[in-house]
Amino acid sequence: MMPPEFGATPWGRAWVRTVESTSMARPNPLLPRARTLARNTTTVVVAGVGHVEAEVTVSGQVRRVRIDLPLWPDETQAEAGRLIARAMAEHRGLVAGDLPDTLEADLTQHAISIAVPPEAQQGECTCRARTRPCVHILATIYALAQLVDERPALAVELRSTPTKATVTADPGWVALSDLDPAGFYGD
Amino acid sequence: MTEKPSRLQATFVPAEDAIAWWGVAELDDAIREQGLPAGRPGVCRLAVARGDEVRPANVPVRFADLDAARHGLLTLDPRAEVGASVRAWRDAARLLDGDNPESGDEAFGALGLRMPPAAHAVLDADGTAIAAAPTLLAQFRQAVATRVLLRGAAVTAELRPYQAHGVAWLNARPGLGHGGILADEMGLGKTLQAICMLATRQSEKPHLVVCPTSLIGNWRRELARFTPTTPVIIYRGASRALPATYPPGTVVITSYPVLRKDEPLAATAWDVVVLDEAQQIKNPDALASRAAAQLSATVRIAMTGTPVENRLDELWSILNVTSPGLLGTRGRFRQRFVASIEQRRSATAAAALTRMVTPHLLRRTKADVAADLPPKLYSTIVCTMADEQARLYREAVDRAFTAGLGAGIERSGRVLALLTALKQICNHPAQYLREDTAAPGLSGKFDRATEMLTEVVEQDDRVLVFTQYRAMGELLSKHLGTVLGVGPVPFLHGGLATERRDQLVHAFQEDDDAPPVLLLSLRAAGFGLNLTRASHVLHYDRWWNPAVEEQATDRAHRIGQLRTLNVHTLVTGGTIEDHIAQMHENKRGVAEIVSGDTQAALARMSDDDLHAVLDLGQGALA
Repeated sequence: MMPPEFGATPWGRAWVRTVESTSMARPNPLLPRARTLARNTTTVVVAGVGHVEAEVTVSGQVRRVRIDLPLWPDETQAEAGRLIARAMAEHRGLVAGDLPDTLEADLTQHAISIAVPPEAQQGECTCRARTRPCVHILATIYALAQLVDERPALAVELRSTPTKATVTADPGWVALSDLDPAGFYGD
Repeated sequence: MTEKPSRLQATFVPAEDAIAWWGVAELDDAIREQGLPAGRPGVCRLAVARGDEVRPANVPVRFADLDAARHGLLTLDPRAEVGASVRAWRDAARLLDGDNPESGDEAFGALGLRMPPAAHAVLDADGTAIAAAPTLLAQFRQAVATRVLLRGAAVTAELRPYQAHGVAWLNARPGLGHGGILADEMGLGKTLQAICMLATRQSEKPHLVVCPTSLIGNWRRELARFTPTTPVIIYRGASRALPATYPPGTVVITSYPVLRKDEPLAATAWDVVVLDEAQQIKNPDALASRAAAQLSATVRIAMTGTPVENRLDELWSILNVTSPGLLGTRGRFRQRFVASIEQRRSATAAAALTRMVTPHLLRRTKADVAADLPPKLYSTIVCTMADEQARLYREAVDRAFTAGLGAGIERSGRVLALLTALKQICNHPAQYLREDTAAPGLSGKFDRATEMLTEVVEQDDRVLVFTQYRAMGELLSKHLGTVLGVGPVPFLHGGLATERRDQLVHAFQEDDDAPPVLLLSLRAAGFGLNLTRASHVLHYDRWWNPAVEEQATDRAHRIGQLRTLNVHTLVTGGTIEDHIAQMHENKRGVAEIVSGDTQAALARMSDDDLHAVLDLGQGALA
């Protein structure tokens, strides 16, 4: 059976829930359209520490979306760090970019939210719609959820102060951009 | 010095198993001036410094064979005016110029730090990065060590450069703590590379080769051909047994059906396990896949010619056997990659997966290694008889000799009838018994041909299949039409009107929607047909005159054609087909056999001699 298109892992699902929250009186009527846009014309340009940027194309026009996400407070980051270290130790040999699903449950149990609730998301969009979040911001959240599904580690990176450990370039290769043309031939 | 280097450069290129000389305009003169080996000309993807950037380029080079290059570097004049990259590789050659290629980790570490980027300018697949110096030095040491081991192991084969790289790649797997998939396109010599790996492993534990039943004989034959001293045990049949101890280097060959449910195989500690035709373990729930994953082994190597990297579920299943844990659990893999890549073509997920899989998969296509290949690449595939075939074969021989073959004209007729019967049995019992449907599992050649043609079709290549029998052509056409999934497979034979024949040829040559497989009767295909779009030719049965076969092969090959043509010939091991094939190959035996009139020659033999030729040899059931 194929996993769901948005929120295939608990990590992505946490983000999907921020827009499909069951606590609302009725589902947001913009959601079907937002999923279509996420599926077809949304490109996440940046998904990094504390913010997401995306371009959503509608009828040939590009809407630029930027969503700022509050980082976890220091003490939460420290707590999360401990839980992550413990979970990783229990799941050695995990594939690069993945996190064990038990960790998601752990974090939730310790009241550490993985995703940012809608009211705490600072979303900006170049469109002129009056409703916020607009359909483009919602599409961006869906697209972000897919990226998190592909690489659960992103869920933690979005909320944490960057550390050296998150950079995992392949040591077998050196990027051309890191090479100095002057010293290339060595003499 | 960022425009063009003024001095000769050197870079080790693992894929070519060679050191590339490059960087100066008058390359040949510069190489000769330094007394370095000229090697073969080529073009290599390398990083170069131009202006204020380092960028990828197609660089004209000379590839010097590794041994010759090392020797040349060792004798290089210390005052030579060469680039720092050449001096770096000279130092690397010096470090290996001892008895022990394992020595000097520290010295190599220091060398890695001072090598200029030009010395390790080998680009990755997308041309955005070059190999890190320590990585390339490690590959260099692996390549040299592999050559030393191959010489010591008395492997009687000349490896092409890409094959030598393949062996070094395979040999590096155990040290990396995981297996891998050798996924070269069909016809590039995967079996030979695997055999070289087995022969160069120094281990007390035995090796295991698992292959389809029809290929057991081929493995046995190839092992005997390339490493005659390797002890080989065929493990199949009801009375199979494994010995209590193994001489060093022993290779046990078995089949997937045996692997599925065999306790002794599961209880043995193996060194290398080779899983040939690894499509057999593409379904993770299949018994064979589970049994393969549970084998205790130092390293597991899967071999397949189909491009598995494009079928994610199959890729997961095979890597789950060779490199457990690499892709995570099946459920997680589907969540993270299959849904993303197959449903919505996510570029980020595809790139991430490629990064994870690339170090575990070696695939070269004919196009990749075209410079190393001759215009025609011949291979003979020895197929193992099915039990039913062997029974019919023995019965036919016994009946003929019991009844007596007579003398003179009568003898010729009876020998001919017997030979025809035996050849039909080798093709498929259904042909011999005049049935109108040929089922799988009853003929080694038939099963093997189906597997090979499936692979060719999956590679988007085109193939001609020759048989000398109309009945066999019809049986193949019917069977392939149902299993290949490319629509009805046409059969061009003498019974068709000229117009229809022309249509078939035209469709094969010009029509992109036409089936990529064309069956031909050897007789009808002798003249004038131009079928150069085929990149593979399969001779399903032997015409006992090599010249006729060659004429058919040349339907697909024209002088000046740039693409290599694979010519595969199927032979049923231990049978009359096999005996004749060996006589042809050895260019000895009865004169008429060599010149072509095999049947007359066989009719003239004494009963005893003829019986010896027709009797089922020990290779028949491997």
